[in-house]
This record gives sequence, C-alpha cells and structure tokens, in this order.
Amino acid sequence: MYRPRYRLAWSPMTDNAPPDRPGPGTAPAGRPPTFTSWLRGRSDGELAALLSARPDLARPVPADIGALAARATARNAVLRALEHLDSYSLQVLEAVVALGDDRLPAPVGAEPEALAAALRQDPGEAPLPRVLEELLGLALVWTDRGRLRPVQVLRELLPEPARLGPPARVLLAAMPHGAVRRLADDLSPDTAEASPVEAVAVLLADPCRVSELLGQTGPQARRLLEGMVWGPPRGTVSDARREVTTATAASPVEELLSRALLLPSGDDTLTLPREVALHLRGGPLFREVRTAPPPLEGTVRPEEAVTRAAAGQAFTVLRAVEELLEEWSREPAAVLRNGGLGVRDLRRAARAMDTDEDTAALIVETASAAGLLGTDDRVGGEWLPTRAYDLWREDPPERRWLRLASAWLESGRVASLGGSRDAGGRVRNLLGPGLERPAAPQARRDVLRALAAAEPGTAPRPESLSEYLAWCRPRRQSPVRAELVAAASAEAAVLGVTGLGALAGYVRPLLEGDEEGAARVLAAELPRPLDHVLVQGDMTAVAPGPLVADLARELALVADVESTGGATVYRFTEDSVRRALDAGRGIDDITDLLERHSLTPLPQALRYLVADVGRRHGRLRAGSASSYLRCDEPALLEELAGDRRTRDLGLVRLAPTVVAARVGRAVLVERLRQLGYHPVPEGGDGAMHLGRPEVRRADPPDAPPPPAREVRGEELALAAVRAVRAGDEAATAERRPVPLPEDGPPGSRAAAVLDVLSAAAREGRRVWIGYTDTDGRRVSRIIEPSQADGGFVTAYDTTRAAVHRFAVHRITSVADLGEDGGPEARPEAGGAR
Amino acid sequence: MSCLIVQSDKTLLLEVGHELAGECRRAIAPFAELERAPEHVHTYRVTPLALWNARAAGHDAEQVVDALLRFSRFPVPHSLLVDIAETMDRYGRLRLVGDPAHGLVLESSDRAVLEEVVRARKLKGMLGERIGDDAVAVHPSRRGDLKQALLKIGWPAEDLAGYVDGEAHPIALDQDGWELRPYQKEAAESFHAGGSGVVVLPCGAGKTVVGAAAMALAGATTLILVTNTVSVHQWRTELLRRTTLTEDEIGEYSGSRKEIRPVTIATYQVMAARRKGVYTHLELFEARDWGLVVYDEVHLLPAPIFRMTADLQARRRLGLTATLVREDGREGDVFSLIGPKRYDAPWKDMENQGWIAPADCVEVRVDLSESERLAYATAEPEDRYRFCASSEAKTAVVRALVERHAGDQVLVIGSYIDQLDELGASLDAPVIKGETRNKERERLFDAFRAGELRTLVVSKVANFSIDLPEAGVAVQVSGSFGSRQEEAQRLGRVLRPKSDGRAARFYAVVARDTVDQDYAAHRQRFLAEQGYAYRIIDAADVLAGEEI
Repeated sequence: MYRPRYRLAWSPMTDNAPPDRPGPGTAPAGRPPTFTSWLRGRSDGELAALLSARPDLARPVPADIGALAARATARNAVLRALEHLDSYSLQVLEAVVALGDDRLPAPVGAEPEALAAALRQDPGEAPLPRVLEELLGLALVWTDRGRLRPVQVLRELLPEPARLGPPARVLLAAMPHGAVRRLADDLSPDTAEASPVEAVAVLLADPCRVSELLGQTGPQARRLLEGMVWGPPRGTVSDARREVTTATAASPVEELLSRALLLPSGDDTLTLPREVALHLRGGPLFREVRTAPPPLEGTVRPEEAVTRAAAGQAFTVLRAVEELLEEWSREPAAVLRNGGLGVRDLRRAARAMDTDEDTAALIVETASAAGLLGTDDRVGGEWLPTRAYDLWREDPPERRWLRLASAWLESGRVASLGGSRDAGGRVRNLLGPGLERPAAPQARRDVLRALAAAEPGTAPRPESLSEYLAWCRPRRQSPVRAELVAAASAEAAVLGVTGLGALAGYVRPLLEGDEEGAARVLAAELPRPLDHVLVQGDMTAVAPGPLVADLARELALVADVESTGGATVYRFTEDSVRRALDAGRGIDDITDLLERHSLTPLPQALRYLVADVGRRHGRLRAGSASSYLRCDEPALLEELAGDRRTRDLGLVRLAPTVVAARVGRAVLVERLRQLGYHPVPEGGDGAMHLGRPEVRRADPPDAPPPPAREVRGEELALAAVRAVRAGDEAATAERRPVPLPEDGPPGSRAAAVLDVLSAAAREGRRVWIGYTDTDGRRVSRIIEPSQADGGFVTAYDTTRAAVHRFAVHRITSVADLGEDGGPEARPEAGGAR
Repeated sequence: MSCLIVQSDKTLLLEVGHELAGECRRAIAPFAELERAPEHVHTYRVTPLALWNARAAGHDAEQVVDALLRFSRFPVPHSLLVDIAETMDRYGRLRLVGDPAHGLVLESSDRAVLEEVVRARKLKGMLGERIGDDAVAVHPSRRGDLKQALLKIGWPAEDLAGYVDGEAHPIALDQDGWELRPYQKEAAESFHAGGSGVVVLPCGAGKTVVGAAAMALAGATTLILVTNTVSVHQWRTELLRRTTLTEDEIGEYSGSRKEIRPVTIATYQVMAARRKGVYTHLELFEARDWGLVVYDEVHLLPAPIFRMTADLQARRRLGLTATLVREDGREGDVFSLIGPKRYDAPWKDMENQGWIAPADCVEVRVDLSESERLAYATAEPEDRYRFCASSEAKTAVVRALVERHAGDQVLVIGSYIDQLDELGASLDAPVIKGETRNKERERLFDAFRAGELRTLVVSKVANFSIDLPEAGVAVQVSGSFGSRQEEAQRLGRVLRPKSDGRAARFYAVVARDTVDQDYAAHRQRFLAEQGYAYRIIDAADVLAGEEI
C-alpha cells in the first residue's frame, strides 16, 4: 500500500526513540508540542533545506532553534515564503489554515484525511503529498501528534482562508456578553459548558445540531446562506446587533441571526461562522482545485528553428557588445555625477551598435553586469572596457554569450527603467542608481522556467504566459511584477535567450546549471570564424561569416564596414585606404593582405585605388619627425641642437621655437631628463602620430557583481544548521548550576569558577558557562576547558567550534551538564537534547 | 552551407556561385529588392515597401521568415524576424475601397490605426468626412497623394478600389519575323497581373516591346509619355512594326504636333510646359478615357508629372526604365506613384542569355599637361570639373581610340559643347547637340544606323532612348558630374546585340588626379554593382598603340 512519505513525519513517537528521551516532534514529557519543539525534531538535512528555501532565515545565522523558530514565524518572513508558493500549494496551505485553526472546538490541527477530502483528493494522490512535504519543509505547517497545524501568524496573513469566515468562537467573543448569553439560553439551555461562548461554539461544531438549526429556517433564509457559502462570508444589513430570538424572528435574516447561523461582526455586517460554512460546503473547501498550472498556449515551431533564430540573435549581441566596447575604448563615455551614463552617450552607443536605444541600453547594462565595462578611478571618470573584456574577447563565442546571459539572469538591474523618472522626478540614468529591482532575477527565472515547462518550441501568447505565472506565484501578482515579467520577456528576446518567442535549446541546460551542456549546444549553432573574403569589382569585400580576429582588425583598417550580421561587407574607399596608410601599412602590405585572404582575384580597379591613394599619400610628407620640442626661448633650443650628446636624437630645428626629433616622445623625454633638462610631454595634437591611439582600460570593478545573496549550496546551509544546533544545545542544555559564592571575600568567586573549570579540564568534561562578552551581551556557551590560569580559561567552545580564551571575571555562572561525564558524540541527525 | 547571409541592416547577401542560388533568388525575390549584382555576391535589401508589395502579392510573413530561415547560412537574428513580421502586419489594416454611397473610402478594421491616421499631420486635408467609426471618405483625386502619404507614415493602404478599364481599343502584337522574348512576356504579364508598376530592364533589352505587350494585354487606349521627340518617333515606328496598330491610330503630341488618337505619344517636356504658371497641356490626361498610361524612362519623370500622376491613380500605369537610380533620391516616389517594381532583371543575367551584347568597360586615364595642371589647381571650384573634363589632352586619346575601332561604329559622347565641336572637327564627324533640329538629328541617326556614318559625336541629347543597334563602341569624354544613371544609359547605347555578335566596348576617358577621376568613380558605381568591372588603362598605352 502506498504510504506517503510525510506520514513518517507525522508519527508522533517513532519506535526507535529511547523511552527516557522525548522523541522528535514532541516536547519534553508533559508539555504539549510546540512549533519550536517540532522544528528541533527536524533532521539536519531538513533544516538545511529550510535555510536554502528561505534564505532570509539564515541572515544572520540564528543563535539557536528558538531564534530560528521565532524568525521562521515572523510576519515578514512568512509573507516572503508565501510569495514563493504556487496556487495549488497556497490552496493546500489555506486548507490547513481553515481546518487546523486552533480556535475551532475540535481537536487542534487538521487531520490529513480530512485535508485531502477538503481538497477533493485521496491522501496519497499526487501532488498532495509532495506539496505537503514542501509546506512542512518551508516550516509553514507543522505536525502535532499526527495532525497538521499552520504556524500561528498565518491566521493573520490569510484571514479568510478558502474564503471562509472566522470560527464562531472568535465572532462570539467579540459580541456583547449579554447577547451571547441570550443566544446560549435560547439555543442550548441545558448545556454543560461553563461560558455561553463555549456553549454556542460547541453547538455550531456539531453537524447534527447545525442541520437541525438549518432545518428550522425558511427557504429564503437558506438561499441567503447559499449566497454566502462560497464567500465572501460577509453580508451587510442594518442593525446587525438587533436583539432577536428564535421566537421573535420575523425575517429570514433574523431567523439566521437568532440561530447563530449568521453572527454580527459589526454594527451592520453579518458573518457566516466558519463551522456553518464548512457544514454547508459539505466537504470540499474549494469549488475548483487547481493542481496544475494552466497549459501554455501559443504558436509551436520546430525547436531547431527557434534555437537557430535565438542563436542568430545571440551572435548579434556578441557583435554589438564588441562594437560598443571598441567604440568606448577609442572614445570613452563620460560618467555622470550620479555615476550613470548620459543620454547622448547612449545614443552614440546605439549608433555604434547599429541598433535602437532600448536595445543599446540593455546591452550596456548587460556588459556592465558581466564585468566587461567599468569606470576608471578618476574624478569625472569615463566608462571603459575592463581588462576582463580583453580576456572575454579571447573566449570562444559560446562562452562569451554564456557569460553575458548568466550576468543578465542574476542582475538585479532593469535596463528598461533607464530614462524613466523616479518618485522625486529625477531621471534614472543607465548604469546609475535607481535601476535596481531585487525581484528582477526571480521574474527572469520564472519566465524562463515557464517557457522551459512548455512543449519545446512553444511561443506562448503573453496572456497565456501571465496566466501561467499567476498560477505559479499567485501572491506575487502586482503591476510592478507584471512589468518585470514583460521586461524579462523582451530582454530575453533581445539577448537571444529566446527565439521566435520560445526558449532557445541551449538555455535549457543553463537553467539546470549545466553551463557545459549549454555551451555545447550553442557552439553548434554559432558560425565559426573564417580567414577569407570575397573581393568584388564594385570595391566591396564580403566576409561570408565572422572573421578571425587578426584579419577582421586589418580589414576594418583598410576598408569601411558597410553592413554587419552573419557576414560583413567592407567597402574600399580612398579614405579607408588612406586610414590604413596612416596606420603605418604600406601599399604592398595592403595588396598582400588582400591577395592572401581573397578567394577571388583582386579587381584591377581596387589595385589602382590602393596605388593611387598610396601615391598621393606620400606627396605631402614633410619628414620623419616623430616628436618635437617647443620652447619660448630660442636660445635654449639652439643650445640643445648644438649639444653633441643629443646627436642620437636626430634633432631638427623647424622654427626658432620648434625642434623636431626623430626619436619617439618617450625616448626624447627620457634622454633629455638624463641630460638635466626638464621637458614636459605634450599631448596629442600637432604631433605626427603613427600608430593607433592607445587603447585604454579601466581597472576591474572593485567587487565583481555580487551573486544573489541567497545562502547557496548545501554545504553552506548545512554549516548554518550546525551553528544553529550548537547554539540550541547551549541554550537548552540540561544543566546543574554550580553554586558560586556571591558575597565572599574579593576574588573568591573567581577562584571558585577557576576551581570548577580546572576540574573540568582535568576530567575532560564539558561545562556550561554564562559569559558577558566584550560587547556586554550575555551569552551562553558550552565549553571543554583545556587550561585555566592567569585569570583566563582556554577552552574549546563547542558552540562556535573554535578554541577561545575566556576571561574568568566575565564568567557569570557555571553549570555542569546533565551528561555522565566525558564528551559524547552527538548523533548526526535527530533530536537535540 | 546554404547560400544566403542575412545582415542586421536587412540586406541579404546571395552567393551567386552556389548551387542553391537560383532557388534562393526565386524565394527571396518577392520581398527583397536587388540592390547590387557584382560578380560573386549579390545584395538584396528587405525594405518595408518590398515587404508590403509582397503582402499585396499574397505572400505572408510566415513565408518570408521561412524563406530566410531555410536559405540562411547562419542563424537569423530574432529581432530581424520580428521586425519583418511586424512590418508586414501593418499592411492591409487600412483599405481603400469603392463605396456605392460615398465613392472612395478609406476603411479599417483596426480603429486605433484609423484614429492615428485621421489625426496624422501629414494627411491633413486628404481625408474627407468620417463615415461611421471605421471609415472615412477620400476624394478620388487624392487617391495617389493619400497612398503616398500613408506609405510615409508606415500604414500602407491596400488599394481595393480597382482600376477603370478605360476606353477599349483592340491592340494585338504582330509577331511576324520576331517573337516576344520570354522575359518580355513575363514582365508584361506580371505588370498586368499587378495592375500598375515599374518594369526594370537593361538598356537594349527591348523595353518598348514590353510596353507594346502591355498595351496588347490592356486592349485599351493608351497614353505614352517619353523623353523627347526622337523617342516619340522611335516608339511610333516600333509600335507600327510590332503591333497591329496603324498610322491613323497613333498620335504624336509634341511641341510641333498635337494629335490625340487612341494611342498617343507625348513628351515629358510638353506635358511639363507651363505658360504663366499654368500647365497648358494637362487636358491631354482628360482628353480620352485612357486605359493605360506608359511612362518611358520613368527615372526621368519630372516633378510636375509626379503630381499629375497622383491624379491618375485609377488608371493602369506602366513605368519603364533601365536604371532606377535617381541622384535626387526620389526612387521611392516612383514606386508609390507609378506602382511597385513588377519585374527586374540583372544586366549580367541578360548578357549571359544573349539578350544584350557583352560589354567591356575601360577607363582611360589621361594625364593633364603641366600647364593644364597649374590652371586646374587655380581654377574656381565650380569650373574645375568642366576644365579637367574637357582637357585638350583627351582629344588625342579619343582620336587614337576612334582610329583603333575604324571598322566599327563609334559614338563619342560628352557634355560640353565646345569640347564636342572641337572633337567633331578633329575627327571629321558630325555633332548632334541640343540646337540640332529634330529633322537633322533623325537624318544623322538614320545615316549612322545605315552604316553611312561611322562616327558620331553626340551631346547628352543622345543619352536616352536613342536606338542605334549597330553602335559597338562608345567613348565618353565628359558627363553630368557623378551621375550613375547617365553612365549606365550611355553604356546602354551600345548594348543592343550586334548582328555579328561582337562585344561592345565602352571607354570613359578620365583626367587623372582630378575631380574628373572622383566623379568617374561615382558614375561607375551603378554599373560596377551590376557586375561591369572597369579596367583601367593609361592613355600612353592607347597612344602607343598597345593591345588594350
């Protein structure tokens, strides 16, 4: 027979629990179980899973289980946890809250079978066991002697679970005492209950009695109730607090009021008590239980087509990033005072990338998120490619794209907010503050996961996608979230994460965390670099694919890029050839380059063009000076030019105040300094510069973009659990205080402490100490003293798993642990003692 | 490896040597314009207009996307596909339809679009009163303007209002001793199926015949607009030869004669003539219920005729040209007013099939003499081109070239009358220029056609439409600055297939290191993009009599 796994967790006493120790899930003998004791009974693995699923509980790591329990049931933490639940989980949770309310008269908690029935399911029917397991794992629900209980705060957060009103007891308690007494006297005059509230509550909890009361009402009254059964459980009526009895009831409302089938919850509101509604619903809690998300509907295309289209886009993005950063390494964009990027620079970037501004904005932000773009340190700095960009360029294209895509997935910034205004009316600048949206990474993952859940190649319609996402996160729905989802879809399309509206094949492995797999699939789609071009008679050269880096660089120098995409079209013009000559290439270099790499014979007209430009290029050359010296005193230059030691510098006097030198500026400056002059290097203008301008780079950003702040990975979560366990042990350890002399002679207290600790050290015992730490906080520790002298105790602090020195005068109390001496290995998992 | 590469600027590069190239060309032709056709890689451009034309011809976005995905060598960027789909989706939201009650109306199923259009500033005054929520009245005379303006704001209207048939007039082709070539038939038919549009065929490929075939298909009275009087006569001769039309049925409407017959041939010049600011011959358009209007050399369509055409939207219109490049950039107006491109054939394809003569283009570089260089350097900027283009150094070279082709029929073409007169004197050849009377022109052309004259010096009056079948050599000494279409049209003078199948030779004599050379480079661009690679030789080699 199928036994759902969660049943184990519900079994109040497991057989292997020692009889003298409380088993997991229960408190020490006698006390009723509490949430804290249940939590303490969870295994380390389960606690680690809890911390992974609700990372906010582990920030910072709580001191002990008590603190963890408090945090786990704190209003905000629970609200956050609710946001992650899908519609079905939420329905299950609502059912637990509705049925397991401890204000209902029945035994506390919801029975699993009743819960399943309320959800119109069998207890073992999927996905109920899995969902319950998850809710237990999230510590939103806990088990109390085989019954399911919601954490207390959910009563407040889900005030009308399954659109049910509050239990009768709650409503009655809020009524004037006299009114309740009248009800009790009228409805159950011979009750055994002491208080009238209890009397009526017990009455309503009894299905037979409720049926009886219903039977006494007229059809109009019943129709009235039927309208309220499935919620909302409230109705408005004038003078809801009127005094009526079964005998005086004159209207349908009064019939119901007098029989406590409706109870006043305000001066003019009536509420249907939960017990009555449950009875009327006759079992199921929901009209419709949505166990699965609505199917994603839309155009279905072959996945290969989708992947190809996406890969095309991915390739475009890579090219755009390169074009952007090359442009900015030549002519960097200015950093605004608020740290952002100006509109004009964005426009320039869009032009450089041959795209619109929205796309450009996304690419700029993504490059920045990937650490390829940074600022230099100077005041009024500039946006420059980082050194990481140089390394990135060396990577194969699929790796380059994956780096961008991963950065985008994790980035908490939303590029499309750039240019909008914040509440204060200030424009939010790209790369500047105000673009952070912590929920953005989650929205992106949600969208991609939804796409991944659809049949491969499906491009869901936006409405279908939002319905699906609404099912996944019903508590997250808001205009802001809808915007984030829309932005995520749009961004995914631009970056090549999706193609034709459907998820690209290579993103699937990426979502699973398998970067290798993603790279493999993507690599097969991206064009491989070529080393040849087709040169044509209309003065163009076509590179029928991406070129190897060297050739691309040289060609871009000799010819203008006319169009880009899968191929690159270069056009040779006089200007472009001259540019190559300016950069130090010779006519022969150019023709050699083209001959070597052209699959087609070079057209004669192109040879003529190169030769013509080459012929004219030399015509105005005036000399070979590569640096110069300026000075307002001709005499000084006279002296320099005449100095025999400067002969190797090739100084030529061009004018009384100008001397040209054959050596480069750096050498000139260096040599003149050696000779005792103090030349100041002069920047750019006027000097004949051969060679390309220096390529500039920013220092790597101070900190790489922080990954999402969640506690990631099992290791980390387990470590956190160990810390909590240790703290819990210290806090809850059974201990026998060692009496310390409080008013003895000075020092006697410290001596007594030392005695106890020295003894413990000798015997290898663990002791509990109360301690005031350097910040004045009172903490408790379980320590294994190893040495005690000079007013300090050196001990292994089991709470913090480290050796520490404790100042004896700060130890406030000492206690023996309830152990039979000798350290004991704690079980790997299971209950704390 | 497939043959097509899709660029991010929406150009498509087609490797012509590839085995799938033919199939691919057919697949993309409906929605992409052939932009350049050099030796190895042809460039097509996907424009909104081309996409809308494709929609009008019954193609949908899925087909376009499918063709791109099927033939593309590399993955096609998603954004480009989306853009194509969105652009095509804009077509047909607005429809121009005939309405029994209101005449012509612009209607839309998408109210938001109609609202946008009604409010658009560029459409001010073109739309009449609102008819209900989904339609607005349009005055029939604004049909053309409106369509053009709608194109500009990106909401092309699907014109379902149809064409008037015009006055029926039976015209048939008289295929006696000749036959309609397959491409001519295809061009005429695809024009007729589309209703209105432009047919682009290289010079010498028989555009007049396409016109005649279109007239036969229309079977209605026809108005033909041509560039000049000589051309009027050529059309008339051709029509008489190719069709069943008789002398009496063809009228000439030019400066000297004003006949209106079932088929009337008029010049642009007379149509554009104004007296006191009024177009005096506009009534020609109203004179008959024309069933077809043919615009010869539509790339020359003057601006006033543009406007008149806008009033003629209900009639079938055929534009004919070899070179749809306008230096004024108004190619788009031609398409929106006359109609989309209905047929287009790359020059080199025609050459390979033997419909036009193969041509060898040679740029001859002439050095200016020392003194000329000095004079050139000090010349006013506006005189510089004239100075270097009519350099004396060219005369000797031209003479050497003409002598070299003594057995052939040589045209010497230039722009500057002084230079032409000088060359005429030097070569002992007659000169045809603007002031030459039409009668004299025709006499000289006839003599040249008959082979009595071997060499003819012509000004730009002979740029277009002059049919000189046996001319095998053209020497261009100067031109209208950097005009690409002039260069192509001049080459066109020698492209008629020769009776002995010899190749044509086109020389451009250019002064080295001057603006002449820069303009030449620009002029050659259209032909270079059609696959005509110029060879460059030195004038010294010509003079030395070396093999060229």
